[in-house]
Amino acid sequence: MNENILEVRDLHYKYADGTQALKGVSLGIRRGKNTAILGGNGAGKSTLFLNFNGILRPSAGQVLCDGTPVEYSRNGLMALRRKVGLVFQDPDSQLFSASVFQDVSFGVMNLKLSETETRRRVHEAMERTGISHLKDKPTHCLSFGQKKRAAVAGVLAMEPEVLVLDEPTAGLDPMGVAEIMKLLKEAQTQLGLSVVISTHDIDIVPLYCDDVYVMEKGELLLQGTPKEVFTEAETLRRIHLRLPRIAHLMEILQKNDDFDFSDSAATISEARKVLKDWREHNR
Amino acid sequence: MISIDSVAYMSKLKKMEPRQKLAFALVTLGTCIWADYVIVSVAVIFIMGFTTVCRGGVPLRTFLRLFTVPMSFLLLSVITIAVNVSELPELLLISIPLSGKWIGVTRHGLHEAAGLFLKALGAVSCLYFLSLNTPMVDVLAALRKLKAPKLLVELMGLVYRFIFVLLETSNTIITAQNARLGYTRLSTGYHALGMLASSLFIRTYKRSDELYTALESRGYDGELNVLEEPYDSSLTGCAAAAAVNTVLILASIYLK
Repeated sequence: MNENILEVRDLHYKYADGTQALKGVSLGIRRGKNTAILGGNGAGKSTLFLNFNGILRPSAGQVLCDGTPVEYSRNGLMALRRKVGLVFQDPDSQLFSASVFQDVSFGVMNLKLSETETRRRVHEAMERTGISHLKDKPTHCLSFGQKKRAAVAGVLAMEPEVLVLDEPTAGLDPMGVAEIMKLLKEAQTQLGLSVVISTHDIDIVPLYCDDVYVMEKGELLLQGTPKEVFTEAETLRRIHLRLPRIAHLMEILQKNDDFDFSDSAATISEARKVLKDWREHNR
Repeated sequence: MISIDSVAYMSKLKKMEPRQKLAFALVTLGTCIWADYVIVSVAVIFIMGFTTVCRGGVPLRTFLRLFTVPMSFLLLSVITIAVNVSELPELLLISIPLSGKWIGVTRHGLHEAAGLFLKALGAVSCLYFLSLNTPMVDVLAALRKLKAPKLLVELMGLVYRFIFVLLETSNTIITAQNARLGYTRLSTGYHALGMLASSLFIRTYKRSDELYTALESRGYDGELNVLEEPYDSSLTGCAAAAAVNTVLILASIYLK
C-alpha cells in the first residue's frame, strides 16, 4: 500500500485565458491524515483541488491516486471521483436539488449501487453531518452552515477515500467552524478518511491538521508539520499569511519580553504546557 | 408565490402520495368544469377549502387571501359577460340610456356571469389544494413516476431550486444599491436597475458553470438521478376522493 493516497508530481496548469495557475507543484497527501493547504487569494489552491478530482486536466505533470497515474478516460475519471470527493466553497452552487435528501443521494446514485446500500449511505452521511432532522426541509430554507453540512454530506455519502474541501470554514460562525472541523475529524478517525482542506483560518491548522503545505503564486513554498511551518514566520508574513494567534503571542513574549521557552506553541493547550514548564523551571 | 411554497412544506398532507393529490385535484377540477352548476362549483370550493384548511392545516386566512389573487382579473371578465346592450329597457334589470340604446344587466346575463365566476373559483380552489399541500419537490416526484419527459422534470427542478438563489442574490444586490442611494431618483433608479440586471446575468452564468463542475465531481453522467422517499398512500384518502367525485357527478347528472 502506498503511503500517499494522493500525489501530484510537477503539476502545471494553464487556464484558457493564459493564466499560469500552477507552476510545477509536487506534493503528497498522506493516507488517513488531515492536510491543510494554505496560501493567499490566487495562490492556486482551488485549481490544485480541481486537478485532484480530474475536473481539470494538468497541462503538464501527473496526478497519482493510490500510486497509479490518473487515467483521463470516462471510466478512469469515474474511478477517481469515487475515491476523491470534492466539496466546493459555496454550497449554493453545489446543492442542485430543492430537497436535502435528494441532493445527498445524487452522488451515491451515480455509483449505481443497490437501493438498500444507497439508502444506508445517504442516511449515514446525514447522521454523521448532523442534518438528519433537515431531511424534509427545502434547501432554500437552510442556514448557510446547514447548507454547508448538506454539501459535505452529499460527498461523504459517496464514501470516498479522500475528502477535499475548499475553504470549509469560510463564512461560518465560530460554533459552525468547530462543528464542521469536529465532524471531519470524526469521519477521519472512524472511516480512515484522508482529509484535505484549504483555508485562510490559520488558527484551526495546528488544532486539526497533521501536514501543511503553503502555496504562493502557483508554487509550493513551504511544507511540513504545523510546528515546522509555523517557525517560518517571516516567509508566511511575506505572502500575506500570519502565524496562529497563540504562536504569535509566544513569539512576542520570547522576542520582546525575554521569556525563555523550551518549545514553540501554536494552540492553547500547547501554550499551557510550555508556560507550566517555564514556571517549573524558574521556581 | 413564496408564501404558497412555505405553506406547502408545513402542510399536514405533505407526506401523502403526491400522485393521489394530483389525481384528486384534477378529477375534481374536471367535474367542476363539466358539471357547470352553481351548486357543484360552490360544493367544490367548500370541499377543497375544508380539505386544505382542516386536513392540511393551512391557515384559513392564507387560503382566503389567495382567492384575491385571481379576483380582479375574474371580475373584469365576468362584467363583460353580465353587461349587455339592448333596445328594450324592460329586459334589463338596471340600465342606463346611451344614444338610443340601453346598456345594462339582464337576469340571464347575471346568472351566467355568476355561474362562470363560481366555476372559475372552483377550478382555482382545486389548484390551490394541490399547490398548498404539495411542495414542488413532490410534484416533480409525481411527474417522474408518471413518466413525464426526464429532461423537462430535471429542468423544472433546477429552475425551482435556483429561483430562490436568484431572489437571494438580487435582494442582496438591491440592498447594496439602496445603501448607496441607487434608487433615490428616477434616472439613477433606471441606471441601478440596468446594473442589477446585467450583474444578475453574469452571476447566473458563473453559477451555472460552478454547478456543472460540482455535479461533474459527484459523477454526473447526463442524468440527475436521485433517491425518492416513500410517501404515505392512504386507501381512505382514495376512497374519500372517489366518493366526493361520484356524489358530485351523480348530483349534476340528476340536475341535468
